[in-house]
Amino acid sequence: MASFRAGWIVQARVIKALMIRELLTRFGRENFGFLWMMVEPLMFAGLVGILWTFMRGPMEHNGVTTAAFAASGYIPLTLFRHMVGRSQLAFSANGGLMYHRQIKLLDFVIARFFIEVIGSMMAFLFISGVLIVAGLMPVPAYPDYLLAGWGIYCMFVLAISLVLAPVSEYAEWIEKILPVTTYIMLPFSGSFSMNAWLTPGAAKYLIYSPFVDAMEMFRYGIFGDMVTPIYNPYIPFYVSLPLMAVGLLLCRKIRGRLVVE
Amino acid sequence: MIRCHNISKSYPMGHGRKQVFAGLDFTIGRGERIGVLGRNGAGKSTLIKLIGGVELPDSGRIEQKMTTSWPLGFGGGFQGSLTGYDNARFIARIYGANYNDISAFIEDFSELGRQLKMPIKTYSSGMRARLAFALSLAIEFDCYLIDEVILVGDQDFQQKCHDEFFGKRGDRAMVLASHSPDTIRSYCSHAVVLGNGQGKIYEDIDEALAAYAAL
Repeated sequence: MASFRAGWIVQARVIKALMIRELLTRFGRENFGFLWMMVEPLMFAGLVGILWTFMRGPMEHNGVTTAAFAASGYIPLTLFRHMVGRSQLAFSANGGLMYHRQIKLLDFVIARFFIEVIGSMMAFLFISGVLIVAGLMPVPAYPDYLLAGWGIYCMFVLAISLVLAPVSEYAEWIEKILPVTTYIMLPFSGSFSMNAWLTPGAAKYLIYSPFVDAMEMFRYGIFGDMVTPIYNPYIPFYVSLPLMAVGLLLCRKIRGRLVVE
Repeated sequence: MIRCHNISKSYPMGHGRKQVFAGLDFTIGRGERIGVLGRNGAGKSTLIKLIGGVELPDSGRIEQKMTTSWPLGFGGGFQGSLTGYDNARFIARIYGANYNDISAFIEDFSELGRQLKMPIKTYSSGMRARLAFALSLAIEFDCYLIDEVILVGDQDFQQKCHDEFFGKRGDRAMVLASHSPDTIRSYCSHAVVLGNGQGKIYEDIDEALAAYAAL
């Protein structure tokens, strides 16, 4: 038990060091520094919100504004897209650090995941603060649903990253099909509509997407009874937990094959 | 003590695999200095990486009962886009060491001066090795893994390394890969000779050097 605890302490130390290192290499110390990590999700959500407001006009769904809907959809989506990018070849990119034996492969994925999650959360807090003050977004009606939806979304993203990181080391062609895959999955991302707005037939199938379930909960948490969520909270767990287990096994397997320069 | 039980390593090459060594079995006791001899590509660095836990053996097991440095050499273990100080900070964090002590030591020992504020990718290979040696000495290990580059740099630096490794830390274990028979003879008590997909430990340095010369 003592050695297990000691192991955790070392891993926490490593993940913290990796996060600081990653922030430094990615954003440097000049100007905004690490605040850059929330800039992209913020710009995405903000600009798309503005664009949609002008292109589509106000939404006809019980006072849900286009800006708030776009912000709530795009910030989780950027988390997913960033993590897909960051997981690819995460191990070879960091290979030089494998010289230090206390750094485990998993730490690379986890450190990047934390950075992206924290960045998205900061971006979301910022933009929702602005929208609430501007009267374009309600104060979250059910914070528990908001957090549960966000947590489930993050869990599924982590599960995907844990599989993608080792798989991308095995098969380079994965890299070629990822852009089209992330594009094709957009309708299954839950970012662009609520299930209740679609045909009942479509909603029936979409609840099998963990993203959709998480987004329904997330948006119910924000908009409350202005929307009617249709979701199954268990499906994301049924999908994510086995994926995580497979991912961990693959990470273990790839470790033996990893060639470090 | 570090014990290698029957370790084998191969790498994919074309459609097959290239055997680096197989069934290698030896022990590094506390304070023992072991040389690794072999031609270019014979697997000296590979063996050092396996002992350091950087890569894993195909089969066999490596038991670690003392703290071991990362393989010290011209590359590896650093992040090129970060400065010398940032790398030192990173290494201090992951090894749980105090950064202030470390930075004072590396400034003094590496003699890199203002270069420490520059990204590592601007360093020459000798400068990297200086930094790696300085950091590993600042952190203190029971066993140092040294790949090829013992006593890099100019006379002064060589003398400093010699004093630190063999004087102050004469009680530490060491695995030293080298091409140079003289280096191995003067520092090591046993040696592993690698060649032709095999590895063998020799308790006697002269025997080891004879086997190396015969490769």
